[in-house]
Amino acid sequence: MTDEISILLTRLAQQDRVALKMLYPKVAPKLMGLLTRMLGDRADAEDALQEVMIRLWQRSASYDPQKGTGMGWVCAVARNHALDRLRARPAARGHRLVTTDGDARDVLDSVADPAIGAEDQSILRARMQSVIACFDELPEDRARAVKGAYLMGQSYQELAAQFDVPLNTMRTWLRRALISLRECLDR
Amino acid sequence: MTNPHDQDDDLLAAEYVLGLLDADDWRAAHERAALDGGFAARVRDWEIRLDGLNTDFPEMPAPDLLPQIEARLFPAPVQPPRGAGLWRWLGAGSMVAALAIGLAVLSPVLRAPQAPLLTAELVAEDRALVLAASFDGTQLRLQADGPEAGDGQDYELWVIGADGVPASLGLLRGGLFETQAALEAGQVLAVSLEPAGGSDTGLPTGPVLATAELRES
Repeated sequence: MTDEISILLTRLAQQDRVALKMLYPKVAPKLMGLLTRMLGDRADAEDALQEVMIRLWQRSASYDPQKGTGMGWVCAVARNHALDRLRARPAARGHRLVTTDGDARDVLDSVADPAIGAEDQSILRARMQSVIACFDELPEDRARAVKGAYLMGQSYQELAAQFDVPLNTMRTWLRRALISLRECLDR
Repeated sequence: MTNPHDQDDDLLAAEYVLGLLDADDWRAAHERAALDGGFAARVRDWEIRLDGLNTDFPEMPAPDLLPQIEARLFPAPVQPPRGAGLWRWLGAGSMVAALAIGLAVLSPVLRAPQAPLLTAELVAEDRALVLAASFDGTQLRLQADGPEAGDGQDYELWVIGADGVPASLGLLRGGLFETQAALEAGQVLAVSLEPAGGSDTGLPTGPVLATAELRES
């Protein structure tokens, strides 16, 4: 990938402080949205945003521009950190139950990232379309559960409670769903 | 993906990426991803597979936290500049300027001639592995604090110069590592997880666990 963010990440790996200044305004709004959604608390999200930027700096050398977009890697680091925080919370606080979003189709409406070049934009669009097509192959409730986990950081236990099924049933459902997703997405 | 063990590992990687695991299992997978290159690669594959879902996260106005972030990443030297009180006592003006120029000219003479000691601290995710490096002008020493690389794997140390190309400095086995090297401030040390015996391509092939810049101490 040759998107602007992946170029900045490779400069971060060279300890380029100017690149960090340039990266911040390009990724902060997306990270703020992601972290607020997953953590459900703006103050917590702002605190997490600082931690994520520090991890981007420290871990930029492990980003491989041949594998995935820069923004995809940035989001992966942020999601991982948000999950780290969610799993460290006392179980009682956990994650509040939130109504699940609409189905996967809405992702196509929101793609207009100016930091991504036209060529990568079309690659990303193609990848998203394949994600949507693959989610469409899943039973509707399972697709919603996988998306709930991805977007809200919900665990098996939280999903089982929300969908009102036993924990083991939820686990079996989602493992099967993940196997079919992998087959579909690797096709 | 015919091996049932591989299948389990791959599903665990997916469950870890999605966040389906409860606190204990998630933490165990998190630690494994930091130190097991094969598992880390499965995790990365799943992150890329599901990348399309990230467009579902909205953008929100973010405060400018850059000053705090930079202050944490690049702490200013704590020592106050020498003679600061004296400058104030002398007052502003031409005298200060003249003295400053004089000092600038003289400073190479005044400076101690010995090579500066360079240090770096390489810290892996969650401090699972911490390497303290020091370079005295000829000899690089590393003190490792953390687990061994595991069966069939080795830690490999790299130096990355201005050209951005990593050059291997050798394998890190045991707690202490020493080697002769020509290093300078600003170069970056990195440690990666490699198959036993080290990378055979001359470049890191496994996950890079930690990096740090060599600085004058």
